[in-house]
Amino acid sequence: MVRNKKIQPYLWRRLSQLLFFALFLFLFIKTDYSGSDELEYAVNILFRIDPLLALAAIFAGKTIVALMLPALFTLLFSLVFGRSFCGWICPMGTVVDGGAYFLPPPKGPAGNDLRAIKYYLLVFILVAACLGLPMAGYLDPFSLLVRAFSFALYPAFDFAVSSFFGFTYRHAPDWVNAATEPVYELLKKFILPFSHKVYALSLFSLLLFAMVLVLNHWQRRFFCRNLCPLGGLLALVSRFSWLVAQGGDEQCGKCRLCRAICRMGAIDEDRRISPADCNLCLDCLALCPRNRIHLSFQRPPLTAGSYGMSRRAFAGSVATGALLPLFLQSRLLARQPDPLLIRPPGALPEEEFLGRCVRCGECMKVCIGNALHSAFLEAGIEGMFTPLVRSRIGYCEYNCTLCGQVCPSGAIKKLTLPAKHAAVIGRVFFDKNLCLPYAKGIGCIVCEEHCPTPDKAIKFRPQPVVNARGETVTVLQPFVVDELCIGCGICENKCPLPGRAAVRVTSEGQTRQAGQALTGR
Amino acid sequence: MDRRQFIKDVFLWSAGATLAIPQFRIIPSALAADKPQPLLSVAKGADYTALVAQVLAPLGGMAQFVKAGDRVVIKPNMGWDRSPEQAANTNPLVVMALANLALQAGAGKVMIFDRSCNEPRRCYANSGIQAALAGLDDRRLKMDHMDSRKFVPVQIVRGKLLTNWEIYKDALDADCYINAPVAKHHGLSRLTLGLKNSMGVIGGNRGDLHHDLGQKLADLATVIRPKLTVIDATRILLRNGPQGGDLKDVKQLDTLIASADPVAADAYATTLFDLQPADIDSTVAANKMGLGEMDLARIKVLTA
Repeated sequence: MVRNKKIQPYLWRRLSQLLFFALFLFLFIKTDYSGSDELEYAVNILFRIDPLLALAAIFAGKTIVALMLPALFTLLFSLVFGRSFCGWICPMGTVVDGGAYFLPPPKGPAGNDLRAIKYYLLVFILVAACLGLPMAGYLDPFSLLVRAFSFALYPAFDFAVSSFFGFTYRHAPDWVNAATEPVYELLKKFILPFSHKVYALSLFSLLLFAMVLVLNHWQRRFFCRNLCPLGGLLALVSRFSWLVAQGGDEQCGKCRLCRAICRMGAIDEDRRISPADCNLCLDCLALCPRNRIHLSFQRPPLTAGSYGMSRRAFAGSVATGALLPLFLQSRLLARQPDPLLIRPPGALPEEEFLGRCVRCGECMKVCIGNALHSAFLEAGIEGMFTPLVRSRIGYCEYNCTLCGQVCPSGAIKKLTLPAKHAAVIGRVFFDKNLCLPYAKGIGCIVCEEHCPTPDKAIKFRPQPVVNARGETVTVLQPFVVDELCIGCGICENKCPLPGRAAVRVTSEGQTRQAGQALTGR
Repeated sequence: MDRRQFIKDVFLWSAGATLAIPQFRIIPSALAADKPQPLLSVAKGADYTALVAQVLAPLGGMAQFVKAGDRVVIKPNMGWDRSPEQAANTNPLVVMALANLALQAGAGKVMIFDRSCNEPRRCYANSGIQAALAGLDDRRLKMDHMDSRKFVPVQIVRGKLLTNWEIYKDALDADCYINAPVAKHHGLSRLTLGLKNSMGVIGGNRGDLHHDLGQKLADLATVIRPKLTVIDATRILLRNGPQGGDLKDVKQLDTLIASADPVAADAYATTLFDLQPADIDSTVAANKMGLGEMDLARIKVLTA
């Protein structure tokens, strides 16, 4: 065998993977306030080129989502270049490939009898989305990846770096700090988040992501081969793609090296390469001892059963997707929404919102006040990872409109500043059993100080109160003017009580849903 | 190692960690001693940059306060995500002029910071102060965000209610600390002036201070001791303070007040709001502790 002197084709693929992953990281870090009210980059572009999320949002809303039209590009790309999107571009695929270094997959060819699962999931997801059970974001590779990065990996990285430089700052001699502090400055400026953030479901998001990597242990790219519903969608298109890898034939004798090393399990016993599975990683091109494998624009004849689906299982997933939504109507949620489910300003009405939201976590990543967090079951099983405001953790910054700017699907509308100021996401009430001026005759009104509406929604009046020592003292007692309150939650956030806040937000009065406020008070 | 030993070790090690936190004792010198009549300068004018030099002139100019090589801290109020016109933050031109004068006086380093109430980056940017200072383009000038590592526990020896709190190291270390608040309405304390502005260099749960705020601000004033207080009353906020947001609540006065006596500066500023020094708890408490003069008749007012 003569070693080819020119650059091996798979190196181009690796370079492409690295570049797109670097782009992913760049946009990830740029998903943040940049000093101006408008974001500079289309940081959400990854989600807008995702045809799975686009289809699910379109099916759920029964309307074209213009923001997600770039997803058409990915479909066209796959029609020409097959699943090379999975092999060359997808950052999740790159992470899975990278993970294989640390958790080596078994050697030799593995069966690909599970590969049909992704089609069943895809069918289930799309049918269910159409009928009111949006689940696409749970298994979408980008959503899984960005959630893990935003909620768990990036904060952990921040913690590790800050701890290290905190240690050197406190304990190391000056000459060490002369070297370490400038490095820390640079990291803070370009890489680290501005402030330490916390996230609901951070460990759970990490666990889901870790499972994707651990599955490599049984099959290389297990998730991509068998589970990824986006991969499934692209596979359906790629079956008709122009560019395909052509495999060997009988002349290869007993050699099935290509089949043994294929990361997608795309090559069968007869060395035929299935365009629905092959992600054009080009490993086999380089490794084939006889250089028999090559790329070509001549599609092999479509062979029956190349998806590995069974008719019965297909019907089963259609039926599950169609029937499961029926059961949602028997939940308590169908009658009484959770009053603590406070959606970000600009969020669509709940049903539409759930259908549109792709669970990417971008709004939570960008939220300048660390106010937005993943719901767990507050919005039902289909609402996990959708954003809600947890005011005690962080409040909605009055002049900030970033969440609507990053939302890739328009589940959170992009609001102008005046519209944001008028968007009521909830209202507050005082818990007079806790509030210091009411309960203990102690002065406070921190809530009033921070209330951001120009005509303050929280006002106060002096009242005589008998305190714990039996003395009558005059204190300023806060109260809320409902018509002025927009539910931003800064009062709940800044309430100085150590435990539960004495002023709390509920979704009452939110403007996105009709019938949420009492009238005529 | 058995379990007993392990638990003992854990206690020993963690006790060590607790003890290792440095405590700073700041003993204010000669606080109660008789002082000469405090000087206070008031200036009025529409050119705010020139106005800063004008108001300092009767006090001896910036050179009176900043010596060559000094580490200078200028502490404006930039606690809110508001624009300069809304008068919730110190006017950017005033801060810029102060910084410029300090640099001209030969300061080795001029630091400007505030622990804001709204998101810090938005406050630094939208207060207009970041942009104004960038215009000076001087390497000695630093407008960094607060670094959580720099809050150090301080024993407030003379404090009546507040005896221990975390305070920003750079504010304590400064050779010259210049307090540059904006004068404005505040629901609880009626006005926020110089003493209240010191809350921007302390750590911890600041809402905790709101009970008996006046005395606690006076306690803080025993350890956070500006050499110079310049109160920005170019625009003052009359209602819905301390963050305002409605231009109808703003009154343009084109006035600056400067004094080396922090209490005198606050006391004089109350008159701009048709109030008396005695109406402000922190002024009364600080005066009672001997931190400065509040009797307007005993303050020598120089009109610049």
